[in-house]
Amino acid sequence: MSYDILLLLIVLVPVLLSTLLPVIAKFSVALRNSFALLLMLIPMFFLCSILPEVLSGNIVKFVFQFPLGINFILQADIFATFTAIASVLVSTIILIYSFEYIKHYENQNEYYFIVVLFLGSMMGIIFSANLIFIYIFWEMTALASWRLIGFFREKEYIRRANKAFLLTAIGALFMLTGFLIIAEASGSFDLDIIANAGITGGLVDLAIVFILIGIFTKSATFPLHSWLADAGIAPSPVTALLHAAVLVKIGVYVYGRLFSFVIIPSDSLRTVILIVIAVSAFVSGGIAFVEKDIKRVIAFSTISQIAFIFLGFVSGGKVAFAGAMLFILIHGIAKAGLFLCAGIIEHKVHTKDLNKMGGLLKYMPFTAIAFACCALSVMGIPPFAGFFSKFLVIIGSVMDGNVFTGFAFIICAGFTVLYLVRLFTKIFLGEEKGEFVSLSKEKLLSPMVLSVIFLAVLSLGFGLFFGDIFAIANLAANQMISI
Amino acid sequence: MSFSLAVLIPLFLVLFFNLPFYKVSGKIAIFIASLFCIIQAFSFFLPITANCPISQYFMLDFQCDGISRLMLLTTAIVAFSSLLVLYALEDTDRKQFNFVNLILLSLAGMNGLFFVRDIFSIYVFIEVIASTSYVLIAINKDKNSLEASFKYLVMSSVATVMMLSSIAILFLVAGSTDFVTISSMYQQYSGNTLVVVAIVLFIVGLFIKGGVMPFHGWLPDSYLAAPAPVSIYLAGIVTKTTGIYTLIRLFYSVFGFNTSIQSILLIFATISIVFGAFAAINQSNFKRMLAYSSISQVGYIVLGLGAGTTFGVAAAIFHLFNHSIFKSLLFVNSAALEKQVNVSDMNEMGGLASKMPITSTTSVIAFLSTAGIPPLSGFWSKLMIILALWTADLKVFAFIAIIASILTMTYFLIMQKKVFFGKLKEGFENIKEAPLAITFVSILLCAITVVVGIFFPFILNGLINSAVSF
Repeated sequence: MSYDILLLLIVLVPVLLSTLLPVIAKFSVALRNSFALLLMLIPMFFLCSILPEVLSGNIVKFVFQFPLGINFILQADIFATFTAIASVLVSTIILIYSFEYIKHYENQNEYYFIVVLFLGSMMGIIFSANLIFIYIFWEMTALASWRLIGFFREKEYIRRANKAFLLTAIGALFMLTGFLIIAEASGSFDLDIIANAGITGGLVDLAIVFILIGIFTKSATFPLHSWLADAGIAPSPVTALLHAAVLVKIGVYVYGRLFSFVIIPSDSLRTVILIVIAVSAFVSGGIAFVEKDIKRVIAFSTISQIAFIFLGFVSGGKVAFAGAMLFILIHGIAKAGLFLCAGIIEHKVHTKDLNKMGGLLKYMPFTAIAFACCALSVMGIPPFAGFFSKFLVIIGSVMDGNVFTGFAFIICAGFTVLYLVRLFTKIFLGEEKGEFVSLSKEKLLSPMVLSVIFLAVLSLGFGLFFGDIFAIANLAANQMISI
Repeated sequence: MSFSLAVLIPLFLVLFFNLPFYKVSGKIAIFIASLFCIIQAFSFFLPITANCPISQYFMLDFQCDGISRLMLLTTAIVAFSSLLVLYALEDTDRKQFNFVNLILLSLAGMNGLFFVRDIFSIYVFIEVIASTSYVLIAINKDKNSLEASFKYLVMSSVATVMMLSSIAILFLVAGSTDFVTISSMYQQYSGNTLVVVAIVLFIVGLFIKGGVMPFHGWLPDSYLAAPAPVSIYLAGIVTKTTGIYTLIRLFYSVFGFNTSIQSILLIFATISIVFGAFAAINQSNFKRMLAYSSISQVGYIVLGLGAGTTFGVAAAIFHLFNHSIFKSLLFVNSAALEKQVNVSDMNEMGGLASKMPITSTTSVIAFLSTAGIPPLSGFWSKLMIILALWTADLKVFAFIAIIASILTMTYFLIMQKKVFFGKLKEGFENIKEAPLAITFVSILLCAITVVVGIFFPFILNGLINSAVSF
């Protein structure tokens, strides 16, 4: 098959075939689960098969002309393919984890359907090279997260799911307005044409602000972050999928895609964005330090780390861009690991309150080790992978002349260390609580424990072989930013 | 197929049903009428060319263009859904029979309205539809429905007076009532105060018929008081045809646009969109909420028209089609709820998704389409409206249209949360899914919404661009 058809299938296979999952479940639950896994593995396989072509510097493109200039264009360059592989990788592990986690609950058919649909829409956002199609897939992910957050159907949970949906939808509508302004200024919705038009000016800056409102709601950046922590009531694989690995990365990805090369924000606007993300990093880091709910701590930590990724893309230099790109992958893996560990802990002790935990190391040693590895990666301690990406982002931003911002983010990195150490201590170390005596020791051979260990190993492994993935990121940065 | 048949066959069927020599049962009447609807729907795909004796006898100017055909299709789909729901819900033979007769008469009126090219005939056919609607609303003969019907009658008469006076003035100036004469007269006298007054009177009359705010007073009451099949029919097509289609037809084929007319359309459309949505947020009754949502969506159609370009007209027609489909779907689902759960207050429902999966899934899709979430049909027509406004340099209205989507989303999320999502309320353990006829209609309408959304480019070229080329 030619590469462009493969690219089309990467998007269409999960989006269209996911509708079959509820039907298959009528015959066999095991069949449904394996089919869902297959729908994740097929895009992965196709992605790997277009990877060599993309790495050789070519851009794989699928074009279908639509009326009104809403052309269906899929375009795979190194940046897109790399991010897509990162998303599919993490999503697949989360799916395997949920085979065990989710099996006691109702509405499983909807769960698998939406998760696969979500992955498909994510692929759509990553590869779309037309603003309207970015918007379409963007809203589809919002839809998916609405159903997933409301998974448990409690009244309060649904209220929060609605909140998340409304907030991200408002952002998306602002973004659509921004897209319309861009389209009017440049004459097209296609990214290539917009990039060639080289538009600048006050109106374009207004459009960028509108688009940023969309991006900030999706990527949960202060002050539009409030839905993210509330959405922690969803099942843990969902929170891992939405809040750590995939959904929140959409915003930063689209930032990198649109504002690195296609539309260049003015310097004053860039300064404003830098201030906003720095504030976001500080505030959320501070909140993470005082929260009592284990998932809320990790959620606020996500908000704080997202700011680092923004820093990389906003700075504009190649090193920072490569660092941000790697940050998407590495933070996705490590943070998904943290959320999934939280899920195991929650299943075991039936609470999310940190003050009711303590001394769990004895009962769940494997989870504790995995948790520690992922936490070290998020903190940025060498030789874990998180160190390199964080280092690159900060050094890159300093190289681009943002010395003060770089300094601020180093302090933020200090915050990260503090609250994650506190989290680990509260859960695993310290005095044993009496009510845990009856807990049995966890087994190593369960899908849930194995998936978190796998994520922990990846966090370490990417650190040890950092040179290789950095080479890829470097290629991508060179392709995106040609000076 | 000669298109005059679309008017003659329903009239003939009514006669045939009521001949004194034999008795036609309600079921058979429903069957024959739905068969007619199916044929009418398929006639969309046939070439309709030849003219027919009726126009010569009555000196009616019958013509068929793309908009007429699209409206024929929409009407057929909605009438068909309404008939099937009638079959499932109403068990007295007499009522079924009466209902079918009225709906056929109304269909004759509507099909006529789509073809005539003469403003007086437009008025006549609107009155045919309106008088059947009075009876349809009051068909249960209880206090609420009689009151609602009376309210509609009064408001509608006001509209009638306005339209008739307007026609009288236009006739006085132009000397004839057919589109061509009036159009050429309008080119000449467009600045004349009398002509402007006439046009404004006509617009306001149509706003009353279409339930545009602030002329909407009759609409929520009639939708609420009418039995379920009637509210599907009314909300799905009657108000859209008598009010909005006629408005589109007048400006597309007769008057054309100028800035003062456009600003009237835009302002009332915006009022409708915003306040209709706010009113919908406050409702606790399912059908009432849908009624206000209908007002808000009609605002979008008028807004598209207000862009004043052919692209805007195309967008308006497309949104009219989509809105007819998904609003009928929502009313069908409200009928299903009414039958199975027997309460209409949303606060008393909860968690019905587990008991009525088809009803709940199709409602979610319908409301997402209404709110304009891609890739469903409503998204595309809304996007077209927004693009039309944007390219017509009416950016403020485009922005309002975009942001008002959030209000649509809000009231539907409230509905979804109260009715379907959430934990099952006590006492609802034994509720079953709606009968086959209703679920069939839901799935059919839902499939149209999804298919139109996904195959949008082909629909746009095949359906909309052939109706209004832009």
